[in-house]
Amino acid sequence: MTHARHLLRVAALFVLVIAAFLAARHFLVPPSFGKLGHYRAAAVDDLKRLPVRYAGQAGEASCARCHAAQAKLKAGDGHRGILCETCHGALAAHAAAPKTGKAGKPPEDAMRGFCGRCHGRSEARPKGFPQQDLGEHNPGLACTQCHDPHRPKQ
Amino acid sequence: MSRISRRRLLRNAAGAALGWVAASVARRAGAVERFVRESPWIRAKPYWGYAIDLTKCIGCARCVDACKTENDVMRRPFYFRTWIERYVIRRNGGVEVESPNGGLDAFGRPAEPKTILKTFFVPKMCNHCENSPCIQVCPVGASYKTVDGTVQVDRRYCIGCRYCIQACPYGSRYFNPVTRTADKCTLCYHRITKGLRPACVEVCPTGTRIFGDLSDPGSPVSRFIRENAVQVLRPEMGTRPKLVYKGLDREVR
Repeated sequence: MTHARHLLRVAALFVLVIAAFLAARHFLVPPSFGKLGHYRAAAVDDLKRLPVRYAGQAGEASCARCHAAQAKLKAGDGHRGILCETCHGALAAHAAAPKTGKAGKPPEDAMRGFCGRCHGRSEARPKGFPQQDLGEHNPGLACTQCHDPHRPKQ
Repeated sequence: MSRISRRRLLRNAAGAALGWVAASVARRAGAVERFVRESPWIRAKPYWGYAIDLTKCIGCARCVDACKTENDVMRRPFYFRTWIERYVIRRNGGVEVESPNGGLDAFGRPAEPKTILKTFFVPKMCNHCENSPCIQVCPVGASYKTVDGTVQVDRRYCIGCRYCIQACPYGSRYFNPVTRTADKCTLCYHRITKGLRPACVEVCPTGTRIFGDLSDPGSPVSRFIRENAVQVLRPEMGTRPKLVYKGLDREVR
């Protein structure tokens, strides 16, 4: 009989420890953990909620709605297929609220450097890509004095 | 009437049970092997993939800029989710790799142009490995692979131990000093789940960056992989990247 009491005491201890573990686990493990894998499934929803800054290809049509002239020029020349946002920066906010949202424009004085990001001479660029040596090609002049970035080949 | 001895009955029963267990284990093992071997995009739709055509990259770093804007990555050096490297390979076998501010600052003209064998740009980013070391080492389950194949960090669950940053063979992760967590390319998960492309793909002016659904044979990335000879970075690591390159030089690591 005394042995049975010992066993009961150990069993009670076991039950207590397991209950404590389960309680701690209940409070420490986030509710969605393990639903999709060994991670918090709610983290995926957190990611999805991040703001979209670039309107992208889908936003090109809304650019053309107000800036039809530029869009038409671009569509018929060398820079077709390149998004407005490649040069003008993220414009999703501007497209959503054209009056208040800030539109980006490459600054006039830094124009040579900006155009040069793509078109400056570099041995590392593919051979057929149009490139100019910025030191030799009309130094000091802004690119836009001769070239229209919306129809660069004219 | 023949009688079966108790010993024989027990032996036969044990043999039958063993055979049954072995057969079911073998069947299960076969299924596991198929599961491991077949491409995951056969099972999950969509399953995102990415390709970079190095024969087209002009190193303009519009992707680096767009990534920083879209994802609020700090405008300081050393914090990049994608960056551009310029390789200069000399005739004597020397290799120089440069990435001034991730490519955002202009690449200078390389010295001694006569000794250059070849030079080219290599955009880098998270490879979204199928078998990613960063997820394996995370002690808390803050690094994970989503059901559509992207590798992500749970910022609210990460304890900032930096194991994953050490484990990544591609140097794709960095420690975000603001959130005090590991940080990396999300493949613009907030965009791709809305039907948009990642910001870097959107702004790329030359079509170097290609994104799409590997489970759809008609997607841009599936077509690109099918129609070109593509390689991955560090194949010997067995990470099975879902970012593939076309025109990858053997010196690129």
